[in-house]
Amino acid sequence: MTRKQIFLNLGGLVVLIGLLGLFYWQSTGERAVPAMTAALEDSDSKVRIGAAQMLAEIGPAATPAVPNLLNLALHDPVLYASTTAAGALSRIDLGAARQVMTANLAALQDPDVQNRRTACAMLGSLGPVAKPAVPALNTALDDEEETIRMHAVGALGEIGIPAALVVPALTRALHDKAPQVRHRALMQFAFLIPPTDSVLPHLKELAEDKTPNIATLAKSALNSPHRQGNQTVMYATMLQMGTVNDYTLRQLAQLGPAAAGAVPAVIPILSNERPLHRYLAAEILGAIGPGAKEAIPALTAALQDEDAVVRESVTEALLAIRPTDGTDRTTTQK
Amino acid sequence: MTTMGGNRTLTWLAVGLYWGCIVFGLVLPGIVMVTHEASRLHGGWAEAWQDYQLHLFAPGFNFFLIGILNAVPFVLLAIFILIHLGTAATKEPVIVSRRLTGVAVALAVAVGFSTWAHVVTVLHPDAQGALVYFFLPIYLLGLIPLGYAVGRGAGMLFFKKPAPPPDTA
Repeated sequence: MTRKQIFLNLGGLVVLIGLLGLFYWQSTGERAVPAMTAALEDSDSKVRIGAAQMLAEIGPAATPAVPNLLNLALHDPVLYASTTAAGALSRIDLGAARQVMTANLAALQDPDVQNRRTACAMLGSLGPVAKPAVPALNTALDDEEETIRMHAVGALGEIGIPAALVVPALTRALHDKAPQVRHRALMQFAFLIPPTDSVLPHLKELAEDKTPNIATLAKSALNSPHRQGNQTVMYATMLQMGTVNDYTLRQLAQLGPAAAGAVPAVIPILSNERPLHRYLAAEILGAIGPGAKEAIPALTAALQDEDAVVRESVTEALLAIRPTDGTDRTTTQK
Repeated sequence: MTTMGGNRTLTWLAVGLYWGCIVFGLVLPGIVMVTHEASRLHGGWAEAWQDYQLHLFAPGFNFFLIGILNAVPFVLLAIFILIHLGTAATKEPVIVSRRLTGVAVALAVAVGFSTWAHVVTVLHPDAQGALVYFFLPIYLLGLIPLGYAVGRGAGMLFFKKPAPPPDTA
């Protein structure tokens, strides 16, 4: 075998690697949006779900797919396809996600149990963007159907904010007459929602419950990692190290004023490319309240955000940080 | 141009094993996944193939990355085979035979272990299953040289150098 033959074969390998790289480049990021948008119309639900997941991962660059995702979220006969599309919308276009929320809020009052259950699942899949649905879901905790109460608990856990409304609602569900609902509420405190001091007596009570799986889960919630160490420092460090994700931001938004130490790490996220991250950053600062004063200039700049939902959240945050500000200005003008 | 040897059979064998090794490393995970999915779907090959394509870059699946990770040790083995066997024609026949035995055992170890790992992973999926795809290339990078050493050792036992002709002087 000659040197030339060896180098030709090695060159062939380099070409193959280049072709694989090109294939990867073509199939990911915004270049994949047209193909994924077309896949949303596929007759196979698995294809539609996979395409929606890919578009969610792509994020705001997948904006051209929003009408198709909206159609999938509102009209797909397969619930998992609808919830996946709704979840994708919350990462691409907050306004479209709010449209899905509005459509499903009405369905919470539907006489048909299946429709109410679907509405709960859909609202939960939207995550923190469905914050305005929390009062309606709180009301759904009084539904006569156990399955609706259980799904409402799940949705409240997935939305997670504002903690001031979600935590009392889930605490109420801890005492539901149905063990399944109590179990679902405990799961939220064990895995998603940091249990506040006001919840602890209820968890301690359930740790002695006669139903073994409820008692075990209550003990897990009491030992929840959310209660270990200084959560604010941990999440702020993650943000400063560039780990900006939905989970970290959501956890900080649930901590409320206790997250004041994270303000310097949260401020830069107000200009993040992802609208969901900007929205969550505003929610964190709003939940911190007056302790987030140093964020006022950044929040004021964010009032010009291109996304209406982010602007709304920023306005609320500014009001929470300086609640008397508007009144003062009016008084000064007078 | 430097000629390293004229043994066409050995050249074709080296080139064939080189490309075969690379392609096998790339497509093995896909073959296992599609076959498993098709058997689960009772013969739905087209659906299994479509499902595989859909998950090539899907978050939480990324079958493309799995193929690339699996291919890494096979590519290194392929380069070794190309150079090691491609230049063997200049050596004595006994050395060529020993090299071939070493390469054969290294290939058998790589193909066997990788296939077994992928089959077991899809047959018994669990939350930590994906870790296999990260650790498998590392294990293979250790096992391939070991396989070659064993094969070369066996080759030395099977293929002895002919005794030197008796001194007639």
